[in-house]
Amino acid sequence: MVTMKRSTKGKLEMVLFTLPAVILVTMMIYIPFISSGYYSLTEWNGISSVATFVGLENFKTIFLKSSQFTNVLIFTGKYTALFVLFSNVLALALAVLLVTKIKTANFLRGVFFVPYIMSMTIVGFIWKFIFSSGFARLYQITGWAFLNWSWLGNANLAFYSVVLVGVWQQLGFYMVLYIAGLQSIPGDVLEAATVDGAGSLRRFFSVTLPLLAPSITICLFMSLTNALKMFDIVLALTQGGPGGSTYTATLDIYREAFQRNNFGLGSAKAVVFFFIVLVLTQLVLWISRRKEVDL
Amino acid sequence: MITRGQRTRLRWFLVELFALALAVFYIYPVFLMVNNSLKPFREGIMDVIALPSRLAFENYVQVVNRMNYGALFMNNLIITVVGIIGIVVFSSIAAYIINRQRNRYTKIIHFLIITPMLIPFQTFMITLLKTMNTLGLSGSLVGLGIQYWGFGIPMATFIYANFMQTVPREIDESAFIDGASTLQTFVRVIFPILKPITITVIVLNVMWIWNDFLLPLLMVNSTERTRTLVLSAYTFVGQFNTQWHYAMTAMVLAVAPSVVFFVLLQKHIVKGVIAGAVKG
Repeated sequence: MVTMKRSTKGKLEMVLFTLPAVILVTMMIYIPFISSGYYSLTEWNGISSVATFVGLENFKTIFLKSSQFTNVLIFTGKYTALFVLFSNVLALALAVLLVTKIKTANFLRGVFFVPYIMSMTIVGFIWKFIFSSGFARLYQITGWAFLNWSWLGNANLAFYSVVLVGVWQQLGFYMVLYIAGLQSIPGDVLEAATVDGAGSLRRFFSVTLPLLAPSITICLFMSLTNALKMFDIVLALTQGGPGGSTYTATLDIYREAFQRNNFGLGSAKAVVFFFIVLVLTQLVLWISRRKEVDL
Repeated sequence: MITRGQRTRLRWFLVELFALALAVFYIYPVFLMVNNSLKPFREGIMDVIALPSRLAFENYVQVVNRMNYGALFMNNLIITVVGIIGIVVFSSIAAYIINRQRNRYTKIIHFLIITPMLIPFQTFMITLLKTMNTLGLSGSLVGLGIQYWGFGIPMATFIYANFMQTVPREIDESAFIDGASTLQTFVRVIFPILKPITITVIVLNVMWIWNDFLLPLLMVNSTERTRTLVLSAYTFVGQFNTQWHYAMTAMVLAVAPSVVFFVLLQKHIVKGVIAGAVKG
């Protein structure tokens, strides 16, 4: 009797104490997410209460009628590839430098982390200022030609500018994760390798790097999702320009819905984007997890 | 004669020098922003690199007044505080129940709560605006704070649930024997034990909510009264893009709170960021 009473009470508590979380997540995420699936099949201007059902028309527009979103996806893909590569390689290099016994290591870690805690919008503005006024003045002083290039005005260069700023803002974050990973490698393993006569380079590639696999997985995953979702920096730095060459997927979804009032088409782009993110992140997780097991 | 010890020391000194130079180069853009925010108008135009001839604090007075900085700061504070309280309260108690009552229902609930971590915000922001309009949560600061509950709960619950595994059951059992209810046990016994992880959750969410741009842009950008610090700085810089000394000042003022927050809580922030990433 008593146990039954207790289990009913337990069930009631289970519902009562988890319900707020479930309701909130449903309201803020599941309902909008599922309805964006529905609206992707409609033509809707966002204001009128009626959305006209058009079937797969929006998806046809995206893939067949115009190459605009495809170009956006290509840009986002190229950005992501370079971002993941540079942020990981440079962060790891920095981490290796800053786990050594130099006296200012702790302070310097803090310095490299500062851009990460700043608003990305402001980071975009800072660099906009540097690419225009800062570089112009430096060019006057040094005469170095690359400072006189149109870093935000030329489509090819603007791409690299966006990568540079993106990496600059987030480098400290991945550095911190790699430092944590490096510190968790037991010292005696490295000592054993030294005793066996491995030089420092050999030690890094044959001992440290394999043992760092879990950190690499995390950083790859985080940098991948962060790069795919890039929005604020581009909005402040280039506004998608010049000539639409730096539109990221998220910025394009935003523009389609809130500036052009094509909420249906925007939702369809969002659905496509969701599946791309899902497939890419799962793929990267799967590959790097498999590597971890092999070691 | 240079001894071996001296040579090693010299080598470390050079490494140190190299690291320092790298850091100076790296953070120079931030310095340049502060530098130009402190220059009188003409100097900024003539030479953005030179140091100011005098510190023009009047820029700060001007921008603080024009942006209505105090009000903006309060707006951010309201959103962040409302957001954090809900995230901490609802996530910690849900994680407690999920961990202590292991059955198929709590498994489903756990799955439901944490799965949204994999859904990028941008994939449903369009319809989110419609949903929030329906619920009356758009256009107000408290409403925005409440929205952060939904977006913050998945990760916070995940982090709490992981930590709960390390809290021994004997602790709640002894409280039960003393006649405490589940809620009393949670509030008096469990929640205090969760303190270190609560700090992690708070730090992660403060950094995110305080600097968030896209959600406030969608929800509270229509009237000046409800704008956040970053939103207002975004507008301000757009308006004053020919008067960089004001723009720079606005930017410094926008990032200053997070930088101060970081300097004060550096250890917790770095720890929190690692915990959040490793567990997420």
